[in-house]
Amino acid sequence: MQRTRPVGDVLLKVDDITLSFGGVQALSGVSFDIRKHEIRAIIGPNGAGKSSMLNVINGFYHPQQGQITFKGQTRKQMRPHEAAAQGIARTFQNIALFRGMSTLDNIMTGRLLKMRSNFLFQLAWTGPAEQEETRHREFVEHIIDFLEIQSIRKTPVGQLPYGLQKRVELGRALAAEPELLLLDEPMAGMNVEEKEDMCRFILDVNDEFGTTIALIEHDMGVVMDLSDRVVVLDYGRKIADGTPDHVRGEQKVIDAYLGVSH
Amino acid sequence: MAISPGTTATANAPLTEAGYRPAWADTFPKLLRFQAMARGERAASREKTYGIWQSWTWGQVAGNVHDLACGLHVMGLGRGDKIAIVGDNRPRLYWTMVAAQSLGAVPVPVYQDAVAEEMRFVLDHAEIRFAVAEDQEQVDKLLEIKPRCPLLEHIVYEDPRGLRHYDHAVLSSYDQVQQNGRDFAAGNPGFLEQEVDKGKGSDVAVMLYTSGTTGQSKGCMLSFDNLVITAENGARFDRLTADDEVLAYLPMAWVGDHIFSFAEAYVAGFCVACPESGATVLNDLRELGPTFFFAPPRIFENLLTTVMIRMEDAGALKRGMFHFFMRVARRSGSRIMDGQPVSLTDRLLYALGRYLVYEPLKNTLGFSRVRICYTAGEAIGPDMFEFYRSLGMNMKQLYGSTEASVFIAMQADGQVKRDTVGPPAPQVEIKLTEDGEVLFKSPGVFLEYYKNPQATAETKTADGWVRTGDAGYFDADGQLKIIDRAKDVGKLKDGSLFAPKYIENKLKFFPNIREAVAFGAGRDHVCAFINIDMTAVGDWAERRNIPYGSYQELAARPEVYDLIRGNIEEVNRDLAKDAHMSSSQVRRFLILPKELDADDGELTRTRKVRRRFIGERYETLVEALFSERDHIDMQMEVRYEDGRTGAIRGRVRIDQAKTFAPEGKPEAAAAAAAGGRKAA
Amino acid sequence: MGPFIEVVLGGLLAGVLYSLVALGFVLIFKASGVFNFAQGAMVLFAALSLVRLMSGELSAVHYWGAAAVLGVAVGYVLLLFWRRARPAAAPGRGASWGLIGVFGLIGAALAALHGTAGWSGWVAIPATAAIMGLLAVAIERLVLRPLVNQEPIILFMATIGITFFIDGFGQTIWGSEIYTLDLGIPKDPMFLLESVFEGGILVNKLDIFAAAIAGVLVAVLAVFFQKTRIGRALRAVADDHQAAQSVGIPLNQIWIIVWTVAGFVALVAGIVWGSALGVQFSIALVALKALPVLILGGFTSVPGAIIGGLIIGMGEKLAEVYLGPVLGGGIENWFAYMLALIVLLFRPQGLFGERIIERI
Repeated sequence: MQRTRPVGDVLLKVDDITLSFGGVQALSGVSFDIRKHEIRAIIGPNGAGKSSMLNVINGFYHPQQGQITFKGQTRKQMRPHEAAAQGIARTFQNIALFRGMSTLDNIMTGRLLKMRSNFLFQLAWTGPAEQEETRHREFVEHIIDFLEIQSIRKTPVGQLPYGLQKRVELGRALAAEPELLLLDEPMAGMNVEEKEDMCRFILDVNDEFGTTIALIEHDMGVVMDLSDRVVVLDYGRKIADGTPDHVRGEQKVIDAYLGVSH
Repeated sequence: MAISPGTTATANAPLTEAGYRPAWADTFPKLLRFQAMARGERAASREKTYGIWQSWTWGQVAGNVHDLACGLHVMGLGRGDKIAIVGDNRPRLYWTMVAAQSLGAVPVPVYQDAVAEEMRFVLDHAEIRFAVAEDQEQVDKLLEIKPRCPLLEHIVYEDPRGLRHYDHAVLSSYDQVQQNGRDFAAGNPGFLEQEVDKGKGSDVAVMLYTSGTTGQSKGCMLSFDNLVITAENGARFDRLTADDEVLAYLPMAWVGDHIFSFAEAYVAGFCVACPESGATVLNDLRELGPTFFFAPPRIFENLLTTVMIRMEDAGALKRGMFHFFMRVARRSGSRIMDGQPVSLTDRLLYALGRYLVYEPLKNTLGFSRVRICYTAGEAIGPDMFEFYRSLGMNMKQLYGSTEASVFIAMQADGQVKRDTVGPPAPQVEIKLTEDGEVLFKSPGVFLEYYKNPQATAETKTADGWVRTGDAGYFDADGQLKIIDRAKDVGKLKDGSLFAPKYIENKLKFFPNIREAVAFGAGRDHVCAFINIDMTAVGDWAERRNIPYGSYQELAARPEVYDLIRGNIEEVNRDLAKDAHMSSSQVRRFLILPKELDADDGELTRTRKVRRRFIGERYETLVEALFSERDHIDMQMEVRYEDGRTGAIRGRVRIDQAKTFAPEGKPEAAAAAAAGGRKAA
Repeated sequence: MGPFIEVVLGGLLAGVLYSLVALGFVLIFKASGVFNFAQGAMVLFAALSLVRLMSGELSAVHYWGAAAVLGVAVGYVLLLFWRRARPAAAPGRGASWGLIGVFGLIGAALAALHGTAGWSGWVAIPATAAIMGLLAVAIERLVLRPLVNQEPIILFMATIGITFFIDGFGQTIWGSEIYTLDLGIPKDPMFLLESVFEGGILVNKLDIFAAAIAGVLVAVLAVFFQKTRIGRALRAVADDHQAAQSVGIPLNQIWIIVWTVAGFVALVAGIVWGSALGVQFSIALVALKALPVLILGGFTSVPGAIIGGLIIGMGEKLAEVYLGPVLGGGIENWFAYMLALIVLLFRPQGLFGERIIERI
């Protein structure tokens, strides 16, 4: 596929990440990088440590060992809200939306970090605060249009079907204008049509906004179609890394998926 | 737009008899010029984008159309060319029609949900060189069929999203075309005005491909005279003015939309709004509150179903109030509207109900400003018709066809009946043949079917009458009553009348039944296929804790069979009262394990059942229905929306329904009173 | 008619007091899903701090400390504004701490100059507010942060612990007697509508004052929740912690804000209750009346807390006056709980609570 923005330099690099909970080793010595504008897939059998990896990147988990370099800055620990402030947004495997709010409010919440106006102005709801709100609303409307969810703008998200909730969650992540977008199984539990829509959205996001995307996905077809490069985890270790075609041919990957004993 | 009034083309020229337009404005481009002069600052189009209603005045529309027309001219669109228009209702797509007409080209709107093959047929048959598409989805379809449509040269798209990496040798953006047009116009002032002046009322205005219940569709050619005069008559009939407001949400390729959301707007000068997307129509309807509304019965059905479901979930007080005042409304609503005597108590209760229930309800439905509303296309259920009318909505029926530029018969205010479609429309003559087929003559009668003289000859008689293919008769009040397609009206083995659609419609009036297909021609008795309504029956099942995982599972539940049997027996009881129909009672039925679908060719795009096709496709089921078996095992292929195929297999139960002894006496067959009736 | 209206009005005004306490519960419950058992203790603590700072009976250390806390709070708020107005020019981490420390010292020094005389309300109230803020920070650091991602019941148990701590701690440093709080709020009774009813309707000016305060408080909170960025963040946190963090909302700060706001509400309740009943341990117990109010109004609804309080206050008084002679006295003590029980039976989410609908 043609790209508006060619894959660029390294945006994020994880180095020798080791994470354990109690005695359970979730990740051991995992290193890989994500380049600007690429779609990077993280795959592996259940319990391979994929979600843990995303949680490390966005600061939910703090690895015992290893470091993360994002936009050239190396850090060992970062809290989730700091990661968000740096430009990392994400979605969750088991949809984490603000269930009491409407679609619009959910996506507006994604703009919180971009809001700057003075607290007192907000309290009075005048001047800069109102202008700012209008500006953000406009941005959010573009996302709503982009994701084709106009019809559910005012619907409380708790009432939406699963596939649409996933879309709203993506919208909320996009509202933060992230540089790195982490998608944890964006297509889990969807039917064929919803999956196709979601694939199209992911490709469009990558293409239109140039957003770098790291995604975990189980559907191999989707992974092979979408991603530029794939990293394969198994039992918390990296067992392969490369283009989809390359990875598919690796014996270790085939073994891992067929369940050959270690 | 630089308007150069011709010698007679002034806003002050005397108006035609109908009082809407000067005689010189006999084409849509000229009507646009007239509207821009007469009410240039008033809103002509609205569209909701990014959550906000945007509007364009008649003057702005004229400017947009001017630029676009010049741009299309630069691309090579000329007199006699055909230009396809593919997409949802969008102001820009309506403007494209007028832009094409300005150059003497003929717009051919295509159903936006047509699959590639249907689209290919139309593009190929109409010799399309230019296509204007709404978005990537439609462009993809056009590109897919382009290799098989060698004449197709240019595709213009409205929404650039996702199209950046496409090959732009054949693609151009709408904005770019308009820009080219502006550049061209700068060097050629007055060009377009001259082109517009060349157009005349007898020219072909548009080609509408009819979906047709059988065979390939036909390109029905309508002239400006057809459309403009018919629209003018329609507007006058309902006293439409520039203050009216309409929501355009039905397919642009359908003649109904073409008249109500386009032709009448250009004649009367009112504003047409386009919804944000297909899924937001109900919301947009509520926000906009149109004054003039047109819908096939199924839309009213959907609205009513949502209301009923919401009412079931409401608190006891609210629900009680709703049901109480709906009873009041049913008793007196229509009578009050028609000016018939009603007791004082009921009048007071109705007034109270209006404040507490009817107006809030109409407001949620988006009908609070509706002055006139039509239902047509199919027969409407008695309950539904009563429901809306009792709320105080002026709901009327009309009967029309593409070949007539819509209007054949229509009901006037205050003379509304549920089971008729009204007396002949203004300037329309109707006559009935010996077999009861309805024929008409009107200013709206189409020119011909494109490249299909045979079909034209079959439909249009030598002396100018058009066959509708529908069977019907005039009732005592001179209102036309349509019973079925003329060719579908068959006979049972005993020689008695069998009008399948009549029976199916009666069945479909139950909210549980979405589609029904009746069989019986040449048989001993009548049997039927039923499609349950997933929303209504699903809801019913949930309330009773009946488990189901899919349509197929729900359809096979014995409880659902019992439910449907009850409905069928009610229909039978009703049929037994009518001497003509009493032998048409449904003896046996089954519930299809699959929903009938236009993608499988079982329904037309306008959701009419293709009875013959279904009969062939489900032949084994039909045979089993007419045997003594109580079940049948079936297996069949289905096509999903993404083009993949799958199989449905399973055991289908066949159930009996009670029939009743005939009660009523034969009515005097009003259909026999055939002969031309002329409207006053 | 006159006496009846008098009873109703008296009940409504008493209900306002319940509402004030219930509000604090609702705030914390909405934002963190924690039922804060310590709200009553916080009311007592706030009232005690205030009344004692105004008394002039404490040792110099008390005043220095309170003034230092106030100084730190002022410094912190000023820094916040600086950061927001000019992020580039704002001082770094170390310098900030230093600056805040200096403010604390200035506060303590000013207190030392002032001596051990009682403070005026204009100083004592902000100082108490600052102390409530410090308490919120301490609770977040020492209790909530270590217990992050625990079950609600565990957090609830923790708040019971906090209750005992605050009760004990407050009485240790501020004293445990009955004190009279006098902020100059008029307390004398007055007669309304004398022209309409014979003898008019007797109301207490303090009650009217309390109602006005409650009204203002609710309005401010409503605007705060609906219109501000922090309000939106609070609602987000209330709905889903993880999601809130992922969009960049710092959970810890939010909790501090919520507990601080709950502390302010406790202070307002403390002022009103203290003025009416005197500051004494029983305030913490009366706060338990907020429980039936919450059950009635719903745990998540700010208007629910207000209306619930009014209904219970009015119901109690009416029951006492009109049912008392029939059922014997003391109805006021159990009526609220009885009403709550009935509501639980028929409408477990409360009158205004969000209906709990689980969709599959």
